[in-house]
Amino acid sequence: MRRLPYLWTLLFLTLAILLSIAIGSVFIPPADLWRILTGWLSAAPLPESLKTFAFIIASIRLPRTALVLLTGAALGGSGAAYQGLFRNPLADPYLIGVASGAGLGAAAAMSIQWPYTFWGLLAVPLVGFLAAMLTVLLVYSLARVGKTVPTTNLILAGVAFSAFATSLTSFLMLRSTGELRRAFAFLLGGFTQAGWNPVLTILPFLAIGLGFLILSGHALNLLQFGDDQAQQLGLPVTRTKTLILVAASLATAAAVSFSGIIGFIGLIVPHVMRLWWGADYRRLLPLSIIGGAGALLLADVLARVVMAPQELPVGILTALVGAPFFLWVLRRAKNQGYW
Amino acid sequence: MSRKLLFALLIVALFLAACGPSVTATPAPSATQPPATEQPAAILQPTAARIILTDGLGRTVTLTGPAQRVVSLAPSNIEILFAVGAGAQVVGRDESSDYPAEAAALPTVGGWSGFSAEAIVALQPDLVLGMAGDFNSPELAASLEQLGLTVYYLPNPATLEEVYAAIETVGALTGHTSEAAALVESLERRVAAVDEKIMPLSYRPLVFFELDATDPSKPFTSGPGTFIDLLIDRAGGINIGSQLQGAWAQISIEELLVTNPNVIVLGDSRYGETPEKVARRVGWDALKAVQDGKVYPIDDNLFVRPGPRLVDGLEALAKLLHPELFK
Repeated sequence: MRRLPYLWTLLFLTLAILLSIAIGSVFIPPADLWRILTGWLSAAPLPESLKTFAFIIASIRLPRTALVLLTGAALGGSGAAYQGLFRNPLADPYLIGVASGAGLGAAAAMSIQWPYTFWGLLAVPLVGFLAAMLTVLLVYSLARVGKTVPTTNLILAGVAFSAFATSLTSFLMLRSTGELRRAFAFLLGGFTQAGWNPVLTILPFLAIGLGFLILSGHALNLLQFGDDQAQQLGLPVTRTKTLILVAASLATAAAVSFSGIIGFIGLIVPHVMRLWWGADYRRLLPLSIIGGAGALLLADVLARVVMAPQELPVGILTALVGAPFFLWVLRRAKNQGYW
Repeated sequence: MSRKLLFALLIVALFLAACGPSVTATPAPSATQPPATEQPAAILQPTAARIILTDGLGRTVTLTGPAQRVVSLAPSNIEILFAVGAGAQVVGRDESSDYPAEAAALPTVGGWSGFSAEAIVALQPDLVLGMAGDFNSPELAASLEQLGLTVYYLPNPATLEEVYAAIETVGALTGHTSEAAALVESLERRVAAVDEKIMPLSYRPLVFFELDATDPSKPFTSGPGTFIDLLIDRAGGINIGSQLQGAWAQISIEELLVTNPNVIVLGDSRYGETPEKVARRVGWDALKAVQDGKVYPIDDNLFVRPGPRLVDGLEALAKLLHPELFK
């Protein structure tokens, strides 16, 4: 398994996609599933008894799979980028406040009764997204020293602002007059909106953000030597750091606005990929994107079945399952100094 | 890294952003929900069977006939459905719907932690009955509507009159209008009977309605604007919490000792609180209500579910506060 990293991760992703389509809170027998899929491929009309199952798969599970896939990809990719940017194994996509900003924005938006229109229904994710990007902008401006942006300052400003935003969010929730459950569910992470709308809405932001990150692999490799060394090797350090930060935050903010705060994917998936296939960011970033998508899909499948028909918030599962799994991987690789 | 490539990516992504959401802006039309924006209301004449109503989210909902397969998303909805005689037409419920006993046998489709669109679709309902508010979010209504289901969200009632309106709406949706009207009439009569005895009273006891006392030095009670507050007032009492802020208000034991309520009603008795436990709490034995033994357990479901059982709660409370009037 040392070689062919792309093959293995793509296989993992395909398996996760298939599981996500086949498993849900309604049990569809494998035989019926097979008949539905072959029926679609051969364009033959489906028997009446399978119509409901086919509808469930096409209208509920497929869009859900797509949304989870994109969210996982965003978290995995931006997690790897943050870890490379900050040269810190504890960095995750929420380090400089995207999560706390989005949580605050969403909690504030939920306290308003929006009209039931297209834009009214989009209000909460939109406000969450804008709040997240504003937070990043604020933290960035606070951390800047002249023309440079020292990573230590970024981390400190991010942590301080996150604490502030989180306390404001808690206060809003305490004083809420009836949206406590919604705000709480958002902070735990979960997929509440069905259909293709969320997928199409976040796709452009992910395309820009993740597309840019994949192309920054070489720059991130250079940054591992330190800011001074990278500058001497010809990399425009401040500009690169800013662009990578913006791209990663854009992808994360878009993903978080619809899915709530899902932790551990952005932290653990890049580490696992690094442990298995090395720290070359030109390869690590695409692998983290694919691995993140697959990991979140598996977590979502579990979230749908473990308490059926209720759905457990995905954020709880990623923490419960991700942490022990990561410790296991770490133990197996403890003799290899990989960082 | 190529700047031209990045620029090209940016253009493509902005293009996608411009077209993407508008593609799915109009919800999928279904047999029972004509696009309300295109046809003026005059053309959709209510026929003998067709039912057209505006729900609590401001949406116009049309049914071709009384709903025969209803999935209920809130416990109060199930209680109303069974009370108007539509119990046989209910095919699904949420996890916390436990009354009446027949409802507990129905399959569940979700609950506090979220609802499963798959489970709802698998039951093939012709009406999904929710309630506007925190428990059923507007996103859920939009998701179910996009899947082609007929969704109706009752407005969140704040007064007894609004509860009666909700009962009548449910009766109209399920074809039990006469039973709903009869139920409303009997509820109004029972409330009027309580009002008659309470109105002339000059003595109104101070009531502390306990909602949570995990920390006995800072228990939670109901603030103003809730049904608990409304029914305490209607039953001839004064809710201590009406001076506090927020629906779920915290009061310290010091404040409670100063206010010294006449009656303590344990709304958390379902979670194991008993009058004996209350007497053992630090500082609580100094309260007049505890010394007089006027600490009463009560089923809080009678006060928090906006349905016909609110009147049961009112009567139970009136009997506790003024036992000499209600034998």
